[in-house]
Amino acid sequence: MKLTNNDLIKLYGDMWYIRHFEQRLADLFAEGVLPGFIHLGIGQEACMAGTCFNLGDGDIIGATHREHGVLLCRGVSGDAIMAELYGKVTGTCKGKGGSMHACGLKQGALGNNAILGPAQTIVNGFAYAHKTRKNKKVAVSMFGDGAANRGEFHEGMNFASMWNLPSIYIINNNGYAISVPKSKQQKIDDLSARAAGYGIPGVSIDGNDLIAVIETTGEAIARAREGGGPSLIEFKTYRWRGHFEGDPTPYRTDEEVAEWKKKDPIKRFEKILLERSVATEKDMKGIHDQMLAKVDGHQKFAEDSPWPPMSEMYTDVYYYEEGSDQK
Amino acid sequence: MIGIIANPASGKDIRRLVAQGTVFDNMEKVNIIQRILVVLHYGGVKDIYMMPDSFHIMDKALCFLERNQKVQVDVKELDFDLNFDQSDSIKAATLLREMKASCIITLGGDGTNRAVAKGSGDVPLLPLSTGTNNVFPAMLEGSVAGLAAMVADKDMTRECLVLRQCKRINIYKNDELVDIALIDAVITDDMFVGSRALWETDSIKEIFVTAAKPDSIGISAIAGSFRPMSEAEPGGLYVKIGGGSFRTWAAIAPGLVRPVPIREFRETDYDTRVRVETPCGMIALDGEREVVFNKNDKVEIEFTDKGPRVIDVQATLNAAAKKGIFVDKEVATETANCPGV
Amino acid sequence: MREITVAEAIREALTEEMERNPEVFVFGEDVGAFGGCFGVTTGLYDKFPDRVIDTMIAETGILGIACGAAYSGMKPVPEIMFSDFFSVCFDYLFNQSSKARYMTGMQEGGKNAGFVLRAPNGAGVRAAAQHSQCVEQFMMPVVGLKIAIPSTPADTKGMLKYAIRGNDPVVFLEHKMMYGISGPVPDGDHLVPFASADIKREGTDVTIVATQMMVHKSLAAAETLAKEGINIEVVDPRSLKPLDMKTILASVKKTKHLVLVNEAPKTGNALTEIGLRVVEEAFDYLEAPPVRVCAPDTPIPFSPVLEDAWIRSEADIIEGVRKALA
Repeated sequence: MKLTNNDLIKLYGDMWYIRHFEQRLADLFAEGVLPGFIHLGIGQEACMAGTCFNLGDGDIIGATHREHGVLLCRGVSGDAIMAELYGKVTGTCKGKGGSMHACGLKQGALGNNAILGPAQTIVNGFAYAHKTRKNKKVAVSMFGDGAANRGEFHEGMNFASMWNLPSIYIINNNGYAISVPKSKQQKIDDLSARAAGYGIPGVSIDGNDLIAVIETTGEAIARAREGGGPSLIEFKTYRWRGHFEGDPTPYRTDEEVAEWKKKDPIKRFEKILLERSVATEKDMKGIHDQMLAKVDGHQKFAEDSPWPPMSEMYTDVYYYEEGSDQK
Repeated sequence: MIGIIANPASGKDIRRLVAQGTVFDNMEKVNIIQRILVVLHYGGVKDIYMMPDSFHIMDKALCFLERNQKVQVDVKELDFDLNFDQSDSIKAATLLREMKASCIITLGGDGTNRAVAKGSGDVPLLPLSTGTNNVFPAMLEGSVAGLAAMVADKDMTRECLVLRQCKRINIYKNDELVDIALIDAVITDDMFVGSRALWETDSIKEIFVTAAKPDSIGISAIAGSFRPMSEAEPGGLYVKIGGGSFRTWAAIAPGLVRPVPIREFRETDYDTRVRVETPCGMIALDGEREVVFNKNDKVEIEFTDKGPRVIDVQATLNAAAKKGIFVDKEVATETANCPGV
Repeated sequence: MREITVAEAIREALTEEMERNPEVFVFGEDVGAFGGCFGVTTGLYDKFPDRVIDTMIAETGILGIACGAAYSGMKPVPEIMFSDFFSVCFDYLFNQSSKARYMTGMQEGGKNAGFVLRAPNGAGVRAAAQHSQCVEQFMMPVVGLKIAIPSTPADTKGMLKYAIRGNDPVVFLEHKMMYGISGPVPDGDHLVPFASADIKREGTDVTIVATQMMVHKSLAAAETLAKEGINIEVVDPRSLKPLDMKTILASVKKTKHLVLVNEAPKTGNALTEIGLRVVEEAFDYLEAPPVRVCAPDTPIPFSPVLEDAWIRSEADIIEGVRKALA
């Protein structure tokens, strides 16, 4: 796989963009600005940036509430995402979805499905449409190790395998389903082993290694585009923060968190950039600051945006409202 | 004392996706360990140490043994914190060497054994194949491996234990020994370690192999397809990849067949350093991208006969059987009158 | 006008819509060469072998595909073998497709959630408690969902075609006992919109609002009561969501009496909604409280004598009318 220096710089920027965005959400939530629940993906940036690097126009990815970063990498407006999390009318969903349902359908980001499970079957519907239309597009479902225990994960893979759909299942295995560790959720350690049960390839890799993520998802996606069918990829990764903001995380130790912070995907990538003379420390600082400024801009946009008018409560229930003209 | 190192990560990498590698399920490794342990237990081997791992292969094997065969085997876990990478295998091998293990049974592919070899020193290895590239380890049934290991443990005078000396490749970067390989060192113009595996031939520029076996897959098979070289033949083979002389083809991964253009090749003696021509890229060792080098680095490769020693299972068990290691004289008298004995 | 059965009407509707739009596809358990467990899709597979697909036993998988394909702009027509099984895939009706537009703020590209989920509804074939239910009462509170509940071949054909052309998720309930019922069906591109209740029989004394098999039983009851000089108006809502209250209110304002007849149990019955809305909006016109003719609050029994008694009969409807007029 040939990555140009421009690709590498962009990817570095993507990861910082995600991290700064997520960190800002943490700060805003702590200040009481953001309503509801926020689930942050800090620590899992490589999984998001690497996967999205291999997706193009027309491809679709459905991820979870932890992956605002996927929306950003797919090109959904950071302003609109931030505004949505504030609940403003300029948000991706006019403020009616929030973090739980923010999305960018035009950019191919299906957003979160707050019920864990349906996304793994809904992705097949998109994949079926791609297959029928013969457009060489793919449909990706990205979810956590907890969701991999839902029945729909299994029904989904079985369908994808049987119908030979361009569906790709990606598990961000960060070792916890809220407070329950993986050792109490399933007997196997490598969830990729489940793929064999459906006759599709399954791979487990280090999700904090951006290049490994790009290579593996690249192969899976290329294979699916060419009619090679579905595959299952498991990223071993870790979330630095709690399941939700405000989670005191009594279920894990500071030592464990510190160990995983040593495997910071951004720092590891910096080593490669320096080793290969792609960027200097100064370049990297420049990108870091540039992304921070972008996030500042998103915050300001959200703050300045208006709330939704009351009329929005009643719209968008049906496509064809009662009495309206359906052709 | 017997040591066992089972790599839970072997057999589930990207080659599942890009080639036809089947998933070597970790449950199958549990089965293999059970078979080994039953034999060791029956053979009276008391001290058995295993590397801990993320799949808890040992715990599962012991649990199933107790439940199914009503056998309680005393296996201890080596005491160290896991990093969940190859350093775990190196550390386990080092500890087992320090504890003076009679042999180390390994479950893995070439990559696993390479890591083990970095720490095992003189301790004989008994490699069982459960990885993707399996030139070094053998397809060996677990019970048979248990038998051979038992002989290694009991045979203090080394009358029956037959060992084979393996080769080793040394990698020097700027005159410093930075890494080793057991089967092959491949110079590519790849930029990154990434998912480690090699599956695209376009990036391969030069290869160094200790064994060139047409009856294998991977890099060894490329060289073996036109100049077979066994482990017994001294030295190694150096091949330059690229247009020029001729073209060959081989299975470079399970079910992944590729044509390979060959520029030139030559046999190389032991202890002779060969300077790598490719200006910058990666060195893949035993199938995994490992060492980075840049324009200003001097990279040299050297073949030696200072690799690990591996147990020759067939020869060892034949010698042991002839010496009567499996026979209990008292029982033999009773059964002497039974038909069929 | 030619006469065809409800089953034939469904087949015609599917065929016509599949010919009209190449992205309409039918899928479900045994719908392909087997023709469906009630024979409804017989012959469809031969006409459209790529678009009539047998699935595994995986209701949640089926509905997931329906949602995703609909969001992509295709027109899936999934079939669930018995409406009772909606419980298995209820999430897709309750939390997914029905809310998709609202949660995403009706983004461009996210407008479509147009699938039509067909299933046989209702009791009478001795299939016992888990294969005999009417399920419209579970769908009534689901915002964003549409419910079609036709009772005649013409309504069935017209509503199915209309539903397939829409962009909203529709639960299309077919009654098992109705598949063989014949009726006149207009030629041509016959469409019946939702929220258009149909007065199946005009009358002056009592309004009966009934669905599916109960429409036919109400019409029979009306003939019997006509001999006594009681003139019944039978209103068939045809769709429960959206609901045509205008026609129902006009009818009740005329007759001043309301009887609601639905095959499902009484508590939480789908037609309760209609009853209360009539009380809210036409209280001054009513000369008696609305009467519900519904099944007992029990699961459906297997034994034929019990099932036949469980299902409301013409006699039960007549008793209901008398109660309303008392």
